[in-house]
Amino acid sequence: MRSVSVVATGIIPFGKHLDQTLVQLGRQAALNALLDGGIKPSEVGIGFFANFLGAKTFGDFTIGQNVFWEVGINKIPVVNVENACTSGSSAFHMAWLSIASGQYDVAIVAGAEKMYVPGIGLINSGETQWDTRLGFVVPAGFAIRAKRHMHEYGTTAEQLACIAVKNRKHGSLNPIAQYKDPLTIADVLNSPMVCDPLTRLSCCPIGDGAAALILCASSRARRYTHNPVAIRSSVLVTGGYENPLSLLPWETDFRGCRLAYEKAGLGPEDIHVAECHDAFTIAEVLHYEALGFCPEGEGGRLAISGETSLGGKRPVNVSGGLLSKGHPLGATGVAQIIEIVLQLRGKAGARQVDRAKVGIAHCMGGDKDGDGKSCTVNILAV
Amino acid sequence: MIDFSLTEEQKGLQENACGEGMKEKEVQRGPEPILKGIFTLPPYDKEGPRLIGALCARCTRKFFPPPFVCPYCLRVLEEVYLSTQGTLHSFTVVRVKAPFGLPLPYALGYVDLKDDGLRVLALIDPKRIDELEIGMDLQLCVEELGNDGTGNPSLRYLFSPKRKNLL
Repeated sequence: MRSVSVVATGIIPFGKHLDQTLVQLGRQAALNALLDGGIKPSEVGIGFFANFLGAKTFGDFTIGQNVFWEVGINKIPVVNVENACTSGSSAFHMAWLSIASGQYDVAIVAGAEKMYVPGIGLINSGETQWDTRLGFVVPAGFAIRAKRHMHEYGTTAEQLACIAVKNRKHGSLNPIAQYKDPLTIADVLNSPMVCDPLTRLSCCPIGDGAAALILCASSRARRYTHNPVAIRSSVLVTGGYENPLSLLPWETDFRGCRLAYEKAGLGPEDIHVAECHDAFTIAEVLHYEALGFCPEGEGGRLAISGETSLGGKRPVNVSGGLLSKGHPLGATGVAQIIEIVLQLRGKAGARQVDRAKVGIAHCMGGDKDGDGKSCTVNILAV
Repeated sequence: MIDFSLTEEQKGLQENACGEGMKEKEVQRGPEPILKGIFTLPPYDKEGPRLIGALCARCTRKFFPPPFVCPYCLRVLEEVYLSTQGTLHSFTVVRVKAPFGLPLPYALGYVDLKDDGLRVLALIDPKRIDELEIGMDLQLCVEELGNDGTGNPSLRYLFSPKRKNLL
């Protein structure tokens, strides 16, 4: 397999974009990426577009062709990718694969989502799935894990809440984050309960947003930029759906992370900066453990130690995470990788992590039988 | 096998959705199981209600709900009844945006079924929320709870704490 690098990024602020369509959001991010890399549309060999809810909320489909055509990209293969929360990072994985395999030299990935739609409700496992019909909603799945984590490891509500406080502080330094006002642990704990023990401020907000990346064979990357970021490994795994399911440790999460480290020939000790799927405070705690940043069960204590804050030993979710940016599902996985690219290029402004050379972007998505349907882990380095 | 086929009512709504838009239901029926083929009811099952699982004779694995074939060896599965007793592995209380007309708050959890080696997702008795504790003994029941998404009341399985509420 050939080495692949990220050569350009494009993003728009996450928030409410009521007057913009999915295509309008997506095309702006894609254009920003093309301009960032000084890349001509005709140089792009393949495109992947990520979106989760467009078919449900707007009756829109095969949106990628519309988005890419608007920025001069046509005739080439375009694939629309849906993989719940990892739609964007799954699209990235496919783009990586298409270049690593030697079939294409330049690929574009864009993701967009519009969630400020009346009556959107809570995300579930799919309208006809048995657990949805029983009454399962996604926050409940994470809340059940949180309750078990507290029971088994003595994790406290304050430890969980400090994740939201930390990520909000990070978000205040990110121009594209949706929420920037500071939070206290008391604010998080006193906000209305959604699913015990997760309060409203323990759950990521919805959001409209779009993000895009351009990847290129590493051998050609310097045509476009003097600071390409190499992809050391790109992993996509799906759940095992075993019964009895192990809520802790989350096997799918651990397996995805382990595989990414193996393929990169790196370990947790090599990581300087990380973005992970903090859709809920407990999720970040679980991912600390899967990513090997602390032993199993120690995620809550790591959260409160300050090690994962900007200025700490290994900052996590310096972008503000999903908890501050909001979680426009199709854009999220792409935006997480953009944050790592910016950090490794030294272009992250007020939230720059000192001497960041190796970063990891992690995401999980979808629910089936209590397991995750997808987990993506991408390790990047300069 | 889980029956995902549409009820007569859902079919009606689909047809309406193609043309005239959704209509008010014309006939209100009694509560029906939210999913077919995953639990039994008396009097058809004298020992019911019971959850219907599946057993692979070759792998000796049990499943719930019953899958298409054994996902490990692709063998056809046989139906088995599962234990009506279990312990609460973990749970949560959902306090916002209840789907399917479920009462707010309502509880969801994973229940470790006695002797079956299965951990099943289940509603937990919404009337007993204040008593819930990890590790407590639970008993299966089936009750009218929520609806099927079109407004028709549904029967759902749930687990209820075995010990009496002493308060």
